Amino acid sequence: MLETRYARSGNLHIAYQVVGQGALDLVLVPGFISNLELNWEDPGYSRLLKRLSAFSRVIQFDKRGTGLSDPVDAAALPDIEARMDDVRAVMDAAGSGRAAILGVSEGVPMAILFAAACPERTRALILYGGYAHFKSSVMDETALEQFMGVLDAGWGSGATLKSFAPRLVNDKRFAPWWARFERLSASPAAAISLARMNAAIDVRGALPAVNVPTLLIHRCNDAHVSPDGSRYLKARIAGARLVEIPGSDHPVWTGDVDRIADEVEEFLTGARPVTEADRVLAALLVARIDGAERLASRLGDRAWSKCTEDFQAAAFTAAERLGARCLRWDGDRLVARFDGPARAARTALALRDAGAALGLALAQGVHVGEIEIGGETMTGLAVQVTERIAGLAGSGEIMASSLVGELSAGSGLHFAARGVMEVEGRSHPLEIVLVVAEQHLEPAVPKKGPGPSLAVLTAREREILARVADGMSNPAIAAMLALSEHTVKRHVANILTKLDLGSRAAAAAFSAGQKDR
Amino acid sequence: MLRTKAVDGAAIKQAIEGRDGKMLASFYADDAVVRVIDRNNPPSKPRDVRGRQAIATFWDDICSRAMTHQVDTTIAEGSRLAFTQACAYPDGTRVFCAAILELSDGLIVRQTVVQAWDE
Repeated sequence: MLETRYARSGNLHIAYQVVGQGALDLVLVPGFISNLELNWEDPGYSRLLKRLSAFSRVIQFDKRGTGLSDPVDAAALPDIEARMDDVRAVMDAAGSGRAAILGVSEGVPMAILFAAACPERTRALILYGGYAHFKSSVMDETALEQFMGVLDAGWGSGATLKSFAPRLVNDKRFAPWWARFERLSASPAAAISLARMNAAIDVRGALPAVNVPTLLIHRCNDAHVSPDGSRYLKARIAGARLVEIPGSDHPVWTGDVDRIADEVEEFLTGARPVTEADRVLAALLVARIDGAERLASRLGDRAWSKCTEDFQAAAFTAAERLGARCLRWDGDRLVARFDGPARAARTALALRDAGAALGLALAQGVHVGEIEIGGETMTGLAVQVTERIAGLAGSGEIMASSLVGELSAGSGLHFAARGVMEVEGRSHPLEIVLVVAEQHLEPAVPKKGPGPSLAVLTAREREILARVADGMSNPAIAAMLALSEHTVKRHVANILTKLDLGSRAAAAAFSAGQKDR
Repeated sequence: MLRTKAVDGAAIKQAIEGRDGKMLASFYADDAVVRVIDRNNPPSKPRDVRGRQAIATFWDDICSRAMTHQVDTTIAEGSRLAFTQACAYPDGTRVFCAAILELSDGLIVRQTVVQAWDE
């Protein structure tokens, strides 16, 4: 564990850490909230810091009132200028005469003011996901009031994640971490005052005074701050360069952190890093919930989210048991990496069963190729090809490239040819096969039986299933149909038994699927 | 050229301890390489700073820090020079480096630094 130290800024103690011993100093000015020690628990964050500290001495701190720094009176938070002193105090304590300042999100206006006020101490500016004027780039009055409502009602439960990285709201690892991050970075009252203070940010007047080399980085689909924020900065900071990179996550330590580290390193050292990521040969699996959008709209947000959560948990368990090396959940699909293609294909078979138990049909793809691994990320052409193979699969099918078949000889898996797929950059098309599990007593092709049908249910049961699918609780159904709650409960249990389903969510998904037919 | 001194242990000691980045930069040949090996830049992936321009920036950055450097144990042997360096930041963090230099025509052409620090 890195040592956390305190710098004196006036009467307050500002917690800071120093990482690495590169020749140049890089001060990381955090966004809305931070917690030096908790941040390290996130693999994306530690990956980013590892990359940055390979060429610099990173100095990071928690702003006053957040994380490990002294609390401040939530009713009288210091303005952004006063916070700028914290940057100076931390630099003094760490012996940094001159540093590159990396401002992220709300840290951007602070970094701008610092560069304008202390050019002699600013070697360069890197501004990620930033803006000069909150109200025009982040939220207007209506959105702000809505956000304040979310803060007030849900601070500490991870409620703000959907504003910062909606892609990760259903991520089993990240979402609970974000809730802790809220709780350990600011008290509810402090978070509310901070948000109010941030909403008042307007440093447009300081932009002409910035006179240091400046790099702007913004993700094209940033969920929290529009890229217009950085475009505005580019137009008004002399000589600033803007790099728009793919992605939608606002937090700098989520998504493709290597891309960000590459840009920062090239800008500060003049040398594009030799690709840090390791290339490895890997078997990849993409399992996509078939008809996800349709199901989601049938089930409603809550039931859908419960349904995908259940599936995600079951899928992770199954994939880990079968040897997955790395797993990622992307809203409606699982991406997993394995050491061998047979493991990936077997996991696909297990997932098909896990999905069926929840009333979900999967379309899956398996492929083998070189990928780049960096921290939690898996990137490269092979990942995209696997996605496309999964796109070819029909409901319940597992498609694979013929390479998977060739490499799985002796595994007991069988494959049936299914045509070819063009891949850019390949001289000849990729042959596609269908994965067929070996079954001694049954035909080689899995039986495409009709599965459970509504016909097995009584009229009353069908009526109740429809209410369950609408997301109604047992007491609500009982009231509506003038039955006792006990009777409804018994009916629901019978429905699950007859359809061979494990939960209400599965029954709801089944019902939605039936309506589609 | 800025160089006013012969590159030897005493000159290096004086420039490093005096945090004189310009002087240090003048000790290097145009195509010199400084190789840094440490915890974050392991032996199989060392960090190379190539050319006098980049090396000048490297020393300029280091010399901008409010820290103390103490150069000790300078050893010279033919065209090779070695020294150790103990450094401290104002908050007490310490860094220790060992450097080996190769000289050609009186200028440093190659330098390997191995360093460790409190973290």
